[in-house]
Amino acid sequence: MPLSFPDASLTTRPWLAYREMFLGLVEREVRARYRGSFLGFLWSLLNPLLLMGIYSLVFAVVMRIQVPHYALMLFAGLLPWTWFSTSLANGTASITANANLIKKVYFPLEILPLVSVSTNWVNFLFSLPVLGLFLAWEGLGPGWAILSLPLLMALQFLLTLGVSLILATLNAFYKDVEQLLGPVLMAWFYITPVVYPLSMLPADYAWLVHVNPMAPLVSAYQDLFLKGQWPGSPALALAAIEAIVIALLGLIFFRRRKFIFAEVV
Amino acid sequence: MSVTVTTGIGSVEVRGVWKEYALASQRPRTLKEAVVEALRGRLPERPRTWALQDVGFRIEPGESFGIIGTNGSGKSTLLKLLTGISKPTLGTVDVHGKVSALLELGAGFHPDFSGRENTFLNGAILGLSRSQVAERFDSIVAFAELADHIDQPVKTYSSGMYMRLAFSIAVHVEPEILIIDEVLAVGDAAFQKKCIERIHGFRREGRTIIFVSHSHGQVAELCNRAAWLDRGVLRSVGPCEDVLVQYEAHLAGAGV
Repeated sequence: MPLSFPDASLTTRPWLAYREMFLGLVEREVRARYRGSFLGFLWSLLNPLLLMGIYSLVFAVVMRIQVPHYALMLFAGLLPWTWFSTSLANGTASITANANLIKKVYFPLEILPLVSVSTNWVNFLFSLPVLGLFLAWEGLGPGWAILSLPLLMALQFLLTLGVSLILATLNAFYKDVEQLLGPVLMAWFYITPVVYPLSMLPADYAWLVHVNPMAPLVSAYQDLFLKGQWPGSPALALAAIEAIVIALLGLIFFRRRKFIFAEVV
Repeated sequence: MSVTVTTGIGSVEVRGVWKEYALASQRPRTLKEAVVEALRGRLPERPRTWALQDVGFRIEPGESFGIIGTNGSGKSTLLKLLTGISKPTLGTVDVHGKVSALLELGAGFHPDFSGRENTFLNGAILGLSRSQVAERFDSIVAFAELADHIDQPVKTYSSGMYMRLAFSIAVHVEPEILIIDEVLAVGDAAFQKKCIERIHGFRREGRTIIFVSHSHGQVAELCNRAAWLDRGVLRSVGPCEDVLVQYEAHLAGAGV
């Protein structure tokens, strides 16, 4: 009995040949999300706006948090957070939700979580002009520091993709992950400085910033958009390293198991 | 053991392939079950069950190769290995050339999108670029006989229209290796005839065809060589008529 295992190049299409499939799926997801709804694409703006209204009411009016430009700070943090959390929700389910496709066609399955993160990134980009408008209204803005936005987005992309790959793999075997994700994301939201500024975090909990790469990231977005501050905190540097490590781990974890997905989903 | 070097585009070589069943019922499905199993110290030791046992054959470029066997014989498992969807537990599968499988019908179709939009996405999933789909678009629509409905959402299609579009896209991929899994029950008799014609066209163009079936009629019509699978074991490989005679004799003997 020969013991040689086939390599990954079983079928002959190289990675690049799946570019069209990837783009096609992202386009489909972006457009499918709002197809059939009256306001259509406007929802990708309305949702964070509604959230901003609710959180402003609760934290600025009821709990009287004293932070300048609170609503804007909230909005600047909600946009990257929404990209992150929606990507994770879609990405986790991406393998199980596409079971039909996986069982029928060969393609690099990494595409599916990648599509989730990319689709939500596109929605994030589409909502930036509204943020820009609000900032301009208040006489605020990032100025030249906007040039660092691609760096922040790249870090967040890597982090989100890495976590998505891990969760998608686990979810293929244990559907419980999907169920668990809601409460976990809610807890994650509250340990990330979106509804409060990073400076309000009590000293005893400062370590949270170092284990949660989303904390310095969201904070960097807020400082960038509201104060025009270039990113460069040591906490962000650590988050960058964490993002890269998580992305690599996610990829390895996913790739070692992807060939049995078609048999278990 | 001599190792044949495969170079020809359109050839397939399956060597010493064993594939273990991943029975869904034998695998803990939820975290709770997994934790309970782990606490009880019961390791997942289970008898290995094989969907395929030491299967090996070679398909030359341009051949029409039939794979025949009853339900549960391992045909579907073998197909998944040939298309790369899953990997053999042991052994190797070498496929040289672009594979299109007519078991991928309608992969990625979205009901809310029009036939046109779905054609482009499905084409991309099957490995065509945008410009390649655009080039073939008119021909795809004509073959599917959907000129009047191509801009309607797919959810408004009848199942016949849906399958005709899906089939039409799949045969327009122009693969070097075409895998057909008993899907010729598409549409009405006239459309079926057109499908068979198209497959004969592929043969004349020298493309490799792998046809999977449990009925000998279509295998006899389409194939020159065949393999007979029986409960995961390759019972015979050779000229189509010989293999079919053995298969029929076995079915008769088993009283099926």
